[in-house]
Amino acid sequence: MFDVDTLAQRWDLPLPGKGGQRVVSGAAAVETAAHSLARASLDCCVKCTICETACPVMAVTDLFPGPKFVGPQAERYRNGQSVDHSIDYCSSCGTCTRVCPQGVKIAELNNQARAVMRAQNKAVPVRDRLITQTTLMGKVMTPIAPLANAALANRPIRVLMEKTVGVHRDAPMPHAQPQSLAGWLRRRTKRTDTLVPAGSRGPIVFFHGCAGGYFEVETSKRAIEVLEHIGYEVIIPKQGCCGLAAQSNGLYGQASASLVRLCEQLTAAGKDLTIVSSSGSCAGMLKHEAHEIMGVEAQALADVSPRTMELSEFLRDLDDAGELPHRFRRIDATVAYHAPCQLKGQNMGMPAIELMELVPGFNVVESGRACCGIAGTYGLKKEKYEVAQAVGGPLFDIVREVNPNLAVCDTETCRWQIEQSSGVKTVHPIWVLHAAYGLSRLAGIEPQP
Amino acid sequence: MSSDVVVIGAGISGYAAALRLRHAGATVTLVTKGMGGLALSPGTVDVLGRLGGAAGPAGPGAGAGADERSARRAITHPYAAIDASDLLPQGHPYRAIGRRATEAGVDRFAALVGPDLLTARPDCAAGGTGAGEGGSTVNAGEGPANLWLPTALGAVRPTLLVQPSMAASVLRDGGRYLVVGLARLKDFTAELVAGNLNRGELPGGGRVQARALTVDFEARAGESDTNAVGHARALDDPSGIDHLARLLDGKVRDGETVLLPAVLGLDRPGVFRELAERLGAPVGEIPLVPPSVPGLRLEHRLDRLAMAERVRVVMGGRVVDRQVERGRLVSVTSAAAGRPLRHRAGAFILAAGGFESGALAIDSYGTVTDTVLGLPLAGVSADGEENLRRLIHRDYWGAPQGLFRVGVAVDECMRPLGPDGTAALAGVHAVGGVLAGAVRWSEKSGEGIALGSAEAACDAVLTELGGADSPERAGGVQAARADTGGHDPDAGAAKTPESEDNLEEQD
Repeated sequence: MFDVDTLAQRWDLPLPGKGGQRVVSGAAAVETAAHSLARASLDCCVKCTICETACPVMAVTDLFPGPKFVGPQAERYRNGQSVDHSIDYCSSCGTCTRVCPQGVKIAELNNQARAVMRAQNKAVPVRDRLITQTTLMGKVMTPIAPLANAALANRPIRVLMEKTVGVHRDAPMPHAQPQSLAGWLRRRTKRTDTLVPAGSRGPIVFFHGCAGGYFEVETSKRAIEVLEHIGYEVIIPKQGCCGLAAQSNGLYGQASASLVRLCEQLTAAGKDLTIVSSSGSCAGMLKHEAHEIMGVEAQALADVSPRTMELSEFLRDLDDAGELPHRFRRIDATVAYHAPCQLKGQNMGMPAIELMELVPGFNVVESGRACCGIAGTYGLKKEKYEVAQAVGGPLFDIVREVNPNLAVCDTETCRWQIEQSSGVKTVHPIWVLHAAYGLSRLAGIEPQP
Repeated sequence: MSSDVVVIGAGISGYAAALRLRHAGATVTLVTKGMGGLALSPGTVDVLGRLGGAAGPAGPGAGAGADERSARRAITHPYAAIDASDLLPQGHPYRAIGRRATEAGVDRFAALVGPDLLTARPDCAAGGTGAGEGGSTVNAGEGPANLWLPTALGAVRPTLLVQPSMAASVLRDGGRYLVVGLARLKDFTAELVAGNLNRGELPGGGRVQARALTVDFEARAGESDTNAVGHARALDDPSGIDHLARLLDGKVRDGETVLLPAVLGLDRPGVFRELAERLGAPVGEIPLVPPSVPGLRLEHRLDRLAMAERVRVVMGGRVVDRQVERGRLVSVTSAAAGRPLRHRAGAFILAAGGFESGALAIDSYGTVTDTVLGLPLAGVSADGEENLRRLIHRDYWGAPQGLFRVGVAVDECMRPLGPDGTAALAGVHAVGGVLAGAVRWSEKSGEGIALGSAEAACDAVLTELGGADSPERAGGVQAARADTGGHDPDAGAAKTPESEDNLEEQD
């Protein structure tokens, strides 16, 4: 079962008594299973510095001395204490772990060490506590969508926000929708004219994440409609936040609590059912970060994690098995596609490209860039905004060059970052399939009806 | 996932094999634990530079007695030496690969990455004197001669192909060199390089004159210790070239060649040329310790090619399991988030490297294993104690360490062989650093073996898979993709066993 005591000893919750002392010293982090595993891997580091050559942050700023330095190298000297503040400039994109030829868990180590540092310095800014409240933000903003959007587009308000909260005035913000996904689900009538008889492939659980519930409602709708179109009965349970934003800000306790609650909700939707998500980063949290960074050992997670699939991964596997209908309309277009770090970190290749290129006439140019810079909430922060823009700069150029009308990317914050910084409308890959199945016209490419 | 071929490993042999098979129309998945070894290589193509010494005794053709065969000697014409197979010790991979596949593999690779990254060597491909290394008889032409390249310590190293940025660095008798150090790059000391170059003699006789100069090039503002990649990124920017050119203005004497550490541009391989024009003198690079900028140039080019041609690259995916059906490998499983991924294929190419990448491992009991596919290994004993005695000894200057020769033994199709000399596991071809019998670091033979074995393995795979229409399908990958509308999953599935339930799990 989920160990509440371990949770209480994490460093973002009130820390009374003896347990609290262990947390402040960082001892609790060192002792968790995940941390032990990550630490053990650092003996495999041969200082080849491949991680440094691939690190997108180190390439653009001298504020971050690189993944090898703050990871395997500094970790030997930490002994539960943080060495310096430079680790805070790691964006946790995970590129270092993915490219490491020796299997060192560099990004995981860095993330954990940063959480320890924050606990030790008792320095989790109010801003970092606020921007991790993603469900709350959705709930508050949806009913007052026009007002919320106007406020976030208002210069003086944004300057004030930067000065008081520390969210950069130019940072991308979610766009509130007048209707939440739950609202749409309540009102809609399901289509019956599906390509494969409705529901004939049985039930499947859809995990939309906070953004997919409130801000990226269109993406969630399209994902549900495509799944229904190819014969699935889509079950959408009530679901909370996966805790990813909290985790990336070092608030492991908050993150673990959200995560376990979510896993229980997803399990309640049906045992042994496949869980599909159009939010690549939230799926990544369930599949990867919860285990390897936070070390959550909960029955609900162990049950949910192996059943969770990123949407493109699910459809690619279906295609591999010869079960994805290929009745696509032709869409003549060449667009840039950026695979977000958190998708790459799932070590499954780039299924979205394979899927989109099943559509006749549709060509994809992969960005070839490690990161868009936003890295969850990293690029929102006023002290890191410039770094994030420099990281994403070459990507924004490619996106504009390939097609000024449309780009494709799998996760929400990355889309907001790319769209805001390049000026190019950026959508989830499912928009392409949705259009190709004749369920919509592809925004930016085809005239809307 | 299903593909025609699964390649395991993203080093030079893995990329070369994956891209060749893709060009031939096959669907290819490349599974790799992380980035391959190219980023750690000097960015040159070594085919065969030396025999004897730490590599152990050469073959009988290298001299009759053990002492003569063990003497360290330079190889001037690597292809001729491979051709004269009695120069190579028994069990050396070149004996199975042969000259033809090696030359074809090296040429194909140079064409693949293009002339801005590797200078092909069509020179003296035919003809020759007929007298090979050590007096052995050579049947064909000698092929191109090795080039002598300065190292970051001022020693000289044989190699066959260099990047155009190193063409001016190839040492020549009577050459005069200005070795330029960059004060904020700690991996290169101009005085040391110039001093050793002056002290030494070129292998064929002949001497060079070198002098040192160190300039304070600020690669990143406010940073007094910037690595090679940081320097190279600064020089990708025209203002960086301008800055460096101004520091060297008036410092180069007539007739001198400027030698700089290998940081002349990461994304733009033509930086050396722009600098040469500014200085009015030839400019060449000297390869450095990792992170290697020339190695990264190749790595980035291959990575982009693999993406453009839709090789399915699964990075971060260590192979954790394998499934064998009736003596044939039918799938491998890689680590991934959530649950492992299974990759089925009609053929597999093991290009995972050797001990350096963890593909081979020895434990404290002396047990040596192929950690990827569990293939039988040559050069080891079943007795761990015996391995500990024989493979690693403590005498640093003594006999060659046996461990370097351990690996997978193969036939001429790169099929792994068991102890009885017959194929150990169908469906698999082993290439590159995992092959038994070579001491690559001493012989300077790593890239040649990698590319030659990849060539031979691809020949075999294309014959097996393609049947009548192999080798290469006309039109290559474009035609293949047009045929299938991108990837045709059925093409892969058709060649792989459908009945998963019947899989006999071995090991």
